[in-house]
Amino acid sequence: MMKAKSKMSGLLCLLIIGALIFALSGCASSNGSGANTASSGQKTVIEYWHVNAQTQGGQAVDELVKEFNAQSKDVKVVAKFNPDMYKGLMQNLQAEKAAGKTPALVQIGWAYLDYFSNNFSYLDPNEAIQKYDPTSKSFLKDNFLPNVLDLAKTSKGKQAGIPYSLSTPILYLNKDILKQAGLSQDGPKTWQDVQQFAKTIKDKTQKYGFYMQEPGDTWAQQALMLSNGAKIIDHGKAAFDSPEGVQAYQLYADMVLKDKSALHVPWDQGVTAFINGNVGMLYTTVAQMSNIEKGAKFNVSSIPSPPFVGKQPKVPAGGSFLAITAQTEAQQKAAWEFEKFLYGVKSMATWTEATGYVPPRKDVATAKDGLKDFVAKNPMINSALVQMGKAVPWTSFPGNSGLQAEQTMIDTRDKILGGQASVASALKDAQQQINQLQK
Amino acid sequence: MPVNKFINGRLFWHILLLLFSIMMLFPLLFAISNSFKSLSESYNNMLSLIPGNPTFSNYVTIFTTLPLFQIILNTFITATIVTLFKLATSYFAAYAFTFFKFRGEKLLYFLFVATIFVPFTVMMIPNYLIISKIGLLNNIYGVILPQLCDATGIFIITQTMKTIPKSLIEVSKLDNVGTLGILRDIVFPLTKPAIVSSGIMFFINSWNEYVWPTLILKDRINFTLPLVLQMFISSEGGTSFPLAMAISMVTMIIPLILYLFFQKYILNTFSQSGIK
Amino acid sequence: MGKALLIHKNQIIAYLFIVPSLVIFSLFLIWPGIYTIYLSFLNWNLISPDKEFVGFGNYVALFQDPNTYKILINTFAYIVILLMLNCFLPYVLSFILEYVITKGKNFYKKVIFLPSIISLVVGSMLYVWILNPVSGPVAVLFKMLGISLPFWSNTNGLVIVVLSLITSWKVFGYNFIVLLAGVSNVPRGVIEAARLDNIPLHKIFFQIVLPMSSATGIYVFIMTIVQGLQYVFTPVSVITQGGPNYASSNLIYHSYQDAFVLYKTGQSAALSTMTLLLFVLLLFLEFKFVEKRVYYASK
Repeated sequence: MMKAKSKMSGLLCLLIIGALIFALSGCASSNGSGANTASSGQKTVIEYWHVNAQTQGGQAVDELVKEFNAQSKDVKVVAKFNPDMYKGLMQNLQAEKAAGKTPALVQIGWAYLDYFSNNFSYLDPNEAIQKYDPTSKSFLKDNFLPNVLDLAKTSKGKQAGIPYSLSTPILYLNKDILKQAGLSQDGPKTWQDVQQFAKTIKDKTQKYGFYMQEPGDTWAQQALMLSNGAKIIDHGKAAFDSPEGVQAYQLYADMVLKDKSALHVPWDQGVTAFINGNVGMLYTTVAQMSNIEKGAKFNVSSIPSPPFVGKQPKVPAGGSFLAITAQTEAQQKAAWEFEKFLYGVKSMATWTEATGYVPPRKDVATAKDGLKDFVAKNPMINSALVQMGKAVPWTSFPGNSGLQAEQTMIDTRDKILGGQASVASALKDAQQQINQLQK
Repeated sequence: MPVNKFINGRLFWHILLLLFSIMMLFPLLFAISNSFKSLSESYNNMLSLIPGNPTFSNYVTIFTTLPLFQIILNTFITATIVTLFKLATSYFAAYAFTFFKFRGEKLLYFLFVATIFVPFTVMMIPNYLIISKIGLLNNIYGVILPQLCDATGIFIITQTMKTIPKSLIEVSKLDNVGTLGILRDIVFPLTKPAIVSSGIMFFINSWNEYVWPTLILKDRINFTLPLVLQMFISSEGGTSFPLAMAISMVTMIIPLILYLFFQKYILNTFSQSGIK
Repeated sequence: MGKALLIHKNQIIAYLFIVPSLVIFSLFLIWPGIYTIYLSFLNWNLISPDKEFVGFGNYVALFQDPNTYKILINTFAYIVILLMLNCFLPYVLSFILEYVITKGKNFYKKVIFLPSIISLVVGSMLYVWILNPVSGPVAVLFKMLGISLPFWSNTNGLVIVVLSLITSWKVFGYNFIVLLAGVSNVPRGVIEAARLDNIPLHKIFFQIVLPMSSATGIYVFIMTIVQGLQYVFTPVSVITQGGPNYASSNLIYHSYQDAFVLYKTGQSAALSTMTLLLFVLLLFLEFKFVEKRVYYASK
């Protein structure tokens, strides 16, 4: 009985300690928030929602926000990180909107361009400039390539935002493996070469020749089809089931299924296998550059995305754009002030160095206070810089079932690479399904 | 026959158990070792559990770039309050369900237990709307509020209470022991194992919860530890595995200490009366 | 008169004890549940201005979608595998530890419980590395033996097994200590007598230990089913996102995907409602069974 009593009191002690901590922390946090509102005074406080993890630009966002807040007289920015990339941000934005609120500035992935513009109200940057910053009327025209600005145009032709981070897929090479297999260290010139290279690597070194990224989207697979002259979408209808599309996918499927020279695993595992020297060539986003550079112990280089024989290379632009979702005039004005700051040459340079994304502004890569030194030190980013002229919009299927269409593309990829359906029939079914959805 | 004898013997089981223990422990050791590796080494030296060039830089990075002590405190407060409240509400509800007869008893109990099966995706948006209306967004109490009671707890504790003979309660009542007295001195000791085991589960689950806090918390000063881990996971730029592992180590150290500290107590409770 | 008053007073006390739970549940569980049923009759994404009432359209679409059946079968497969890994296996282990082995019990107990502290996000990340079929430590070891690992995350069937294994790495320890507590309550004398009589271990387990600790056993059994599917959600979302072609998806993940990846809120709500109905039915059957068994055990 005594024993039970003492245990009982022990538990009680714990409860009391817990309650104390509870109370103390309650004080602490209320103090904290009090101080917050006091220091911001009459500044307009706006929320900036972004998706950049600490290892991928998150720290740069912190820096930029801090710098901006220090120099702005009337605006204070609070940055909110959203995990799980653009998908995660969209989930949170959805909940926020359902609760009747919105942040002021959001970072939206290209695949969500149509869904976003159909379901959220945003301020066209042209309007924002006209309304709140009439003196810099030609800001967009002066600083951005027209094909880059077009990336953020909706299927209805409206400018939903301004491109912020741009990425394109490039081909990373493990030169040591190429050398060991007796292959040219300049890498393959065409996709047909890629297949040959991969086969040779497999035969000569027993290692895997090739890996193409397989995340929860089909961005890289779209690049492959585009580089054979196929169209993903034509006049608002899915159009990838063309001879070019089938041929392109067939080459990739053959590498995985017939030659067994290409790896078929999730993205993270594929990149890891490349970095520790088990795969000869890696086709993935330029955003992986710093991870690969820091991790690899072999001679690594990169080349721009190759075309098919006799075709022009084409790459879908990945990354994101910034859109103003603020609803009141004060918030919109503040959002534009901050957005303009982010697109300054210096901010752009900070941003690019931290992320490895390609800057959307024309002059940043060559400007002295821009990226000149960075490019010299990181030659791999050149592969992405030179192909910016070949960048086309990442297909964002129109309509409310656009996201379902993208999911169909993913399922199709799985079916083909899993050997459950032939390329021809899988693409045909997918195209039918997608066009059915849009009705 | 000798085979049979071997299987019945201790050596066989010890070998099997040791192998099993290694399998359970390996991922943990892998995590610890990688938290002391550089990025390059984590990629290139996968097999070795002992880092070639051990470095503290991952820990330095996370402690210098984030208000980690505040975040640990947030996590601790959240998990503690959630656990205590869940236990209390479950205990009281179980008591009512076991020792009282009232209108709607069966239906309510069934309804409560059925909520175990409501997938959390169903609750996310409606709960977000409520929390937002009350103005608890970006606040750990917004994370805590919907979690103050738990059908699993009610279920476990009720099942255990049902094994207590009703006559015991009747006798105490005749002895003029009040309701609170019965709750504290008679029912509590007999249900302690169930309470302890659900308490452990509540604490660990709340400690590691990330989907719901992700939605509610915005400022990093209000973050809980699993959100910090999310901050270092990037699919597009590649996750820095050693950094992620360093955060994981920080995240797991407190439940670990608590477990080791209370282990004797926990195991004693179990062996004293056991879950019936 | 007096008795009636007492009953009345008792009722009030009982309700007082239940009110805290009832309030929280109603607000944060039951109301969302009802709201979900309402959503399941709409074609809506929660935020769009057009809200279309479609009657049972979402349910019809579910039954017409071949993937629904695939996912149902997957869900069942997960349940069976998880029951083996997280209920049966720890049961056997706790028996061995309690009655066959005398030394090292505490050591094993600590080691086996340890992983249950860890979050499954971390667990999933760890296993993505450890089980990397080309360059992970396991692959390297197997390569030395001349065996190459399959691409498990893209192999139908195998992917469910591996994801279940990852989940049970976390869940095993907790279930194990709970079961151990139950098993250790079986009177020692009975088992020692049986061992002296040279009764084989498996017979002792199935004929003595299992029935005598069935209350705990059934509790773990139910929790494995209920929580198993929710736990599996994390590795699915971290590693496969339900792929390849829904081969690793289950009811819970799929309803998440519909609602928060594709924003087909109505469809997702219909699937959730179906899931709920299915489980409530199971629960109802289980209830009768459980109640009986527990009564039996405590007699």
